[in-house]
Amino acid sequence: MIIPITISTDSSSAKLPSGLARISHDEIVLVELQGALDVGDCHPTERNGKLVGKLSIDDAMKKPTLLIGHHLLEGKVAAIPKPLAIMHRTNAAAKNIGDDMEVDDETQLDDSIGGTRGGNDGQSAPEWTILGLVKKKIIFSKRPMPVIKRS
Amino acid sequence: MPDFDLHFSPFSTDEAASYKLIELPSELVGLLENAIQSSDPLGLVIKGDPTEDAVLCTRDKTYSIRTVNLSNTLLVVTPPPDTEFNFAEDAVVIRDQLNEILELAPAVPRISKLVGRLRGREYDETNEEDDEDEEVDSDGSSRYTYTQAREEIQASDAELDVCLKQKRILIIKDELRPISPSYLNNILELTLNVLVSESLSHSAASLDRLTSALAGDHGISRVVSAQVLAWFGEIQAGGKWKMNEDEVIKELGLGILREHKNDDPIEKGAFVAKWKLAVGDTFADRVSLNLLAGNYLEGRPVGRIEHEYLTYFPSSTLPTDPAARFADLFLTRTKWRVEDITPFLSDIAVNNKERDKLLLKYCRAISESGAVWYTARAQYNG
Repeated sequence: MIIPITISTDSSSAKLPSGLARISHDEIVLVELQGALDVGDCHPTERNGKLVGKLSIDDAMKKPTLLIGHHLLEGKVAAIPKPLAIMHRTNAAAKNIGDDMEVDDETQLDDSIGGTRGGNDGQSAPEWTILGLVKKKIIFSKRPMPVIKRS
Repeated sequence: MPDFDLHFSPFSTDEAASYKLIELPSELVGLLENAIQSSDPLGLVIKGDPTEDAVLCTRDKTYSIRTVNLSNTLLVVTPPPDTEFNFAEDAVVIRDQLNEILELAPAVPRISKLVGRLRGREYDETNEEDDEDEEVDSDGSSRYTYTQAREEIQASDAELDVCLKQKRILIIKDELRPISPSYLNNILELTLNVLVSESLSHSAASLDRLTSALAGDHGISRVVSAQVLAWFGEIQAGGKWKMNEDEVIKELGLGILREHKNDDPIEKGAFVAKWKLAVGDTFADRVSLNLLAGNYLEGRPVGRIEHEYLTYFPSSTLPTDPAARFADLFLTRTKWRVEDITPFLSDIAVNNKERDKLLLKYCRAISESGAVWYTARAQYNG
């Protein structure tokens, strides 16, 4: 089985605001958090489009902050030791791939990335494309500070 | 300080798990950056069966893929996609939340599957008159094509071609046929004869005249002879073939050596003499056992200890899995010197550093009579 990976040449897609575009890539920025975003939703689609918080960054790109609810996170822009390629699956037909992938800690990936198997006949093979390379990320590693918002 | 509203993407549930981050080794960074700049398609693919571990192939290299779990979460943030949703001017959206990245490491191409698939499909002099349109042979083994190999074998295209050349596999009407070793030897001997009889120089022989003579006088199909000559030399502009003397000499040596497996070793001097005879006077000086490294064992068998004897022991028949290979090697001999064991590791280690790591992992080094010897670590000895 062969899964081709194309390289995206689409330069017409929207760009990030300049404050974020300057960090590494003009269309994608990576934000690293310790832990995960905990969303209190009853239904998975409830979160679509909802506001998470406010991301800011100073002009010198030294002090990014993220305000989520009453937590204020302070971070920094850090270089990623080995650049990361962002790969995106463009054909959304094969939705159950997420269940087929078996991932264990630091073991090799079973080759089920978007492959069509016997049972999935009728779904077109997903296409993967590389959107770009990212060499820097925003990382929030300090504990959040509680803030009180003036309403 | 400018601030940006951070939202979940309007298609957050659909987009979950549609992004993957791949950590790039340094050589791929440059390659990818150039490709993005110049819109070069680059030919990157991921290959593998559902039962195998995936590999990523460029046009000429293979990389294994491992998933590394992160304790932190990485958010992929982009400008909002086009929807009716009313986002503020400078809003950005989270498209995906990731806890793992894919790590690439250079890997040896996995071609053992190919050898298995081609069993029973050898080509020799009985096939010269073959009707090549038969799908299935009389003994039930079916055709395996070059196209199939490109899709199924976990190797880059360039590495697959090199492998076909090294393993002496012919491509006849897209089907892969390994050539029988004795038939190959025959063709090489005939080629050397033709070079002499037609007074052709071995560094610039007319390809046409060669293949015609082989076809006309000896019944060897041009499709076959052209490929064999390409394996053993360079086809230059103007239709001239420049022989790779060492490769030809090596193959003729192997032809003789193959007769002498474990039960019938040949005395070293006698072997070299026979070999020189086979290659002819022009090339006799280039005959050297170094050419056959990784294909023979030298030793003094019980009862014949006055001389060194050689036995045929090709690394191509050893297992590709390192643990199994070392087990086999130590079953054959309980201890090895570095220079004796390294030729049998060259096809399973990408480079010298990897090979040394394998030696460290699977062997114990001991110092004896002034030299370093490798022995098996206890658990791998059967």
